[in-house]
Amino acid sequence: MTEVAVIAKPDLQGKRLSFALAEDCVAHYPEFRDFFVRTFDLDRKGLAEPGFVRAPSGITYALVFIGRSGEPFPSGVEIHAIVDALEPLDGTILDRDLWLILRWMIGGVGAPWTVEDFDRTGRLYRVPTPPPA
Amino acid sequence: MTVQSESALPATLRAQWPYVPRYANVNGWRMHYIDEGEGDPVVLLHGNPTWGFLYRNMIGPLVNSGRRVIVPDMIGFGLSEKPTREAAHSLDGHTANLTALMRQLDLTRITLVCHDWGGPTGLSFAMSNPARVRALTIMSTWAWPLPPAEFHTRIFPWRMMHAPLVGPYLLGNHRALAGRGVYLSVVNREQFAHAAQGAYEAALPDPATRLLTWVWPRWIPLDENARAYERFRWLEQELSRSKFPTLIIWGREDEVFDATTFSNRFKQLLPHAEGPHLVTGRHFLQEDSGPEIAGLVRSFLKRLDGG
Repeated sequence: MTEVAVIAKPDLQGKRLSFALAEDCVAHYPEFRDFFVRTFDLDRKGLAEPGFVRAPSGITYALVFIGRSGEPFPSGVEIHAIVDALEPLDGTILDRDLWLILRWMIGGVGAPWTVEDFDRTGRLYRVPTPPPA
Repeated sequence: MTVQSESALPATLRAQWPYVPRYANVNGWRMHYIDEGEGDPVVLLHGNPTWGFLYRNMIGPLVNSGRRVIVPDMIGFGLSEKPTREAAHSLDGHTANLTALMRQLDLTRITLVCHDWGGPTGLSFAMSNPARVRALTIMSTWAWPLPPAEFHTRIFPWRMMHAPLVGPYLLGNHRALAGRGVYLSVVNREQFAHAAQGAYEAALPDPATRLLTWVWPRWIPLDENARAYERFRWLEQELSRSKFPTLIIWGREDEVFDATTFSNRFKQLLPHAEGPHLVTGRHFLQEDSGPEIAGLVRSFLKRLDGG
């Protein structure tokens, strides 16, 4: 498994949502908000349920969308790893998964945003996860 | 909300920052500042992602020349309180924070030294409180609506760095700006890494404390619909009418706000200004030329005093 995949709601019995990353302003560049609306059918589903993706590590993530009065929905988003309720999460795997989820997001947002620019930015700031040039 | 104490500063760096910490309540936030010396006040304003430490090599020379030197840490940076929600930050709010401190200290005859976001906030304070201000010093910043630099319009690396979710990940989790970002924007990187980088990283120890490092870039107007567009338009108009004695200092190697474009535009806005004086430095020119900049400010103020 090498790609991030959108999946149906998983069984959450015995699991917990482990907070990983938050964005207060997903529409700072509106095309990012549009991507999430399109990908998770948010105009229809609204706050009914999170979006779910499976990362190449096999870990499933919940994307919890946040509404804010007076702003288009969603205004924000939180990413949570879905893990066994009492088990810790490996930080290295989490970091790698987040990188790949963001890379998937950039690819989905599309031009002029590119995964190549995302990778270059990661390399410039020496984030350990991007592939070498 | 979190509060960062000065004890987080690495022991090796504390000798460079021996100042008594002071705190003021501004708009409900806890603002750290230092207040050293006596005389007409010189207020040193930092930007993203630094704090008062940026001015460590300027404070002593200015105090020794008979000035009262006040260095606040912007709310969200340094040893000030760090709100954890993006909505806590706005350009007007940060200007109001500075205004609150200046009024609580009842400062008049202020010389403002403005760098990076210390420019839009400090200059907005000056334009809205002219009776308190005596003079301005302007370094590596901007004060007009669109866009500050070609650099800020590019996706790589600028817009990508603070894009939705990417900002919290790169600048938060991986402290891209507070760590390597500043390192890349000084001339003498070896010296910076040895003598200063730890102080900037220590002040923003965890992802949540780094919120403002990706929020400030989002306040730079890139089109006429941007939320700060009207404030910058107002600032440019007010500044063009102002007659404050002004000193312009720029880094020769500045790649973010290049000297040719930006210092000259300030000179057009403020034709009576002294300078631009070019010193060794990229965007964080105080790191490479702090004592020289302090000397320029001292000479400028001495001339204002009639000396």
